[in-house]
Amino acid sequence: MNRRSFVKAISAGTLGTAIFARGAENVSIREKHPVAPSDQVRLGIIGAGSRGQELMRYFLRVPGVRITGLCDVYEPRFAAARKITGEETPIYRDHRRLLEARDLDAIVAATPLSLHAEHIVSSLQSGRHVYGEKSLGLTLEHCNKIVAAVRQSGKHFQVGHQYRYAPWFHEVIQRVGKGEIGRVTHIYGYWHRNGSWRRSVPDPKFERLINWRLYKEYSGGLTAELGSHQIDFANWVFGAIPESVTGSGGIDTYQDGRETNDNVQIIFRYPGGRTFTFSSLTDNAKVGAEAWIYGKDGSVEVTMADAIFYYEPKRASSPVSEVTERGVPTGATYSTKGEMPYRGPGSRVKVPEGTEGNPNLSACKSFIESLRNDARPFADERVGWGSGVSVYLANKAIEEGRRIMFADHLKR
Amino acid sequence: MNEHIFFGTYQLSRITRLIAAAVLCIPASLSSLALAAAPNQLFYESRPAMGTSFEVYLYAPNRERASQLFEAAFDEIERVEAALSNYRFSSELSRINASANAPVVTDPEVFALLERAFVYSRESDGAFDVTVGQLMKAWGFFRGAGHYPSGEELDRARDQTGWQRVRLEKRTRSVLFLVPGIELDLGGIGKGYALDCVARVLREAGATAALISSGSSSIYAIGAPPGKTGWPVRVSDPLDRTRTLSTILLKDQSLSTSGNYEKFFQLNGRTYCHIMDPRTGRPVEGTLQTSVIASEATDSDALSTAAFVMGPERSARLLDNIAGTAAIFVTDRNGMERIVQIRWPNQAGSAAQMIKTESK
Repeated sequence: MNRRSFVKAISAGTLGTAIFARGAENVSIREKHPVAPSDQVRLGIIGAGSRGQELMRYFLRVPGVRITGLCDVYEPRFAAARKITGEETPIYRDHRRLLEARDLDAIVAATPLSLHAEHIVSSLQSGRHVYGEKSLGLTLEHCNKIVAAVRQSGKHFQVGHQYRYAPWFHEVIQRVGKGEIGRVTHIYGYWHRNGSWRRSVPDPKFERLINWRLYKEYSGGLTAELGSHQIDFANWVFGAIPESVTGSGGIDTYQDGRETNDNVQIIFRYPGGRTFTFSSLTDNAKVGAEAWIYGKDGSVEVTMADAIFYYEPKRASSPVSEVTERGVPTGATYSTKGEMPYRGPGSRVKVPEGTEGNPNLSACKSFIESLRNDARPFADERVGWGSGVSVYLANKAIEEGRRIMFADHLKR
Repeated sequence: MNEHIFFGTYQLSRITRLIAAAVLCIPASLSSLALAAAPNQLFYESRPAMGTSFEVYLYAPNRERASQLFEAAFDEIERVEAALSNYRFSSELSRINASANAPVVTDPEVFALLERAFVYSRESDGAFDVTVGQLMKAWGFFRGAGHYPSGEELDRARDQTGWQRVRLEKRTRSVLFLVPGIELDLGGIGKGYALDCVARVLREAGATAALISSGSSSIYAIGAPPGKTGWPVRVSDPLDRTRTLSTILLKDQSLSTSGNYEKFFQLNGRTYCHIMDPRTGRPVEGTLQTSVIASEATDSDALSTAAFVMGPERSARLLDNIAGTAAIFVTDRNGMERIVQIRWPNQAGSAAQMIKTESK
């Protein structure tokens, strides 16, 4: 795949495996409200906190984008956000007032998880396209409401799973899909950090507002904030959502009044005897954030910046021609000695020249292109629903200490 | 008397951290004073970033509060590095370098920094120039330890250098390279900019006394230690770094130092340092070290580079136009140090007074 076809495919949302979200098959015919390619796209921001500000920077790197409204409930964020826009962008303390503004084409919703449904649904109902941060919604009901609102509105929705826009992720999906590492049975996802996740609060009255990630009323904790990306990746690789989930977690390091776990370990079972195991720690960052795909014939390590293939020793039945076709260096095929882990080099994924980029920027750019071309975003509401409901049920499994069957909760 | 202060998670009796050319001096009396003025204690943390080591000293009532401030500070450094690094393919700078043969729209923050860099290019008659990326590569200072370029390599790099070969279009916030192959390198301003960003974040988080540094490049002081009028910072002698050239007090100010000892290689008895004179395409010779004080680290960082290239006489004219600046130069005069000061707030007892100095 060359650069042009990659960019074209990602804009049209035609890459990747089958869409899996049960109950989301019937997509209504949308009203056509494209934004003309030459037009300026005017964005309103609901939630101008750290992630919202980061998204603003990325969107402002896309030609023709202007931020015309800022909405937040924490006063200092207006000055910080205006510094990013470089102008006296109108501010709103109530998202309903922002949505009354006329000069808005789309909304970027980067609020605490518990508010996603309210902000995304009302934005869609106001006739705006929406870029909504992950995870999709705090509860199953929230996730379903968002999907329904997207359908009813006929507007475009893109969820903040930016790694869906990383070319090396696409390359991995394609090659794994073609069987390069054999049948994939397991994915292990890690998101390990060494830090309390607690943010500095200038006044105790702002504790829950600023540290919302630590409170269950607003947040799905590590499973949602970090795990949702990895869960989405597993859904993408397996082309399905899980059938069941079990998990554990606890507040074992930072007993500072928080309610969400400071470590979680979750096992998702997928159709066909496949498993995704997710781990998130906050007191050791050795492995960082990465996922491993394990297949009968090899493994792939996927990170935020690259992906590396490793191959199990060739068996007699392996067709030799494959090696030549792939051009795989010998060093990528490993041989473990005495059960010791392989620590040698692998075969780094090469992506089309000029597409390496930044997945965040690519995701923002792709959203704007979706609006201009009236094309369904690749990471649409169905993608968001797949990871969103998985996050919700995983946390339920941890909290209730039992195995949760997805079918018991996703009946429609 | 308790002379202990906190040094990360360890207690040390005294801090005498060397920050390359400039050294933070925190005498025992100061540290004990910090404890006497409880609840504030001095905390320290260092992390690698931008190819160097960023260090943060700050006063906080307890370790938890200090940890939160450190996290906020280092998150901000990571944010800035993610945008400005030319070592990361995913950075905004890398995207501009890869694509600006056609206009590239960037965000207001990056655009404003480029504009600011180009102001210094204009004001310094090109002595400070962020288009030195190809020259840095030709001389082997990008991911390398130095290399003497061939005539052909040098000619090519010169053709791809020059701030006037880049067009910044304010209306669209776009960057356009007027000749192919230009490469922006913010090494002469980016670390200072990162310090200003961290200072803003720390102030917003309520910090009132902190000292932050980016390796040997720049130091920025927020306020002053409790009961003091400033943070004592030592500028060392480039020929004998154990010797103090000058000790100054910084308060809501920055100090940046450029030295020929940071990255260099030697060939046939000559030393080639990593600071380029963009106008000749060659490493600067004859200047050993420049230190510049300014109200913001972005400015002091750019000015110390510009001053290193321009030398004391021409720098004086540039610095005279910028309020709040001061500088000290160490140049090589036939193997002897020549020290020149411009409005330098020199303290008593420093080497600068042992060596004959000139004032501009």
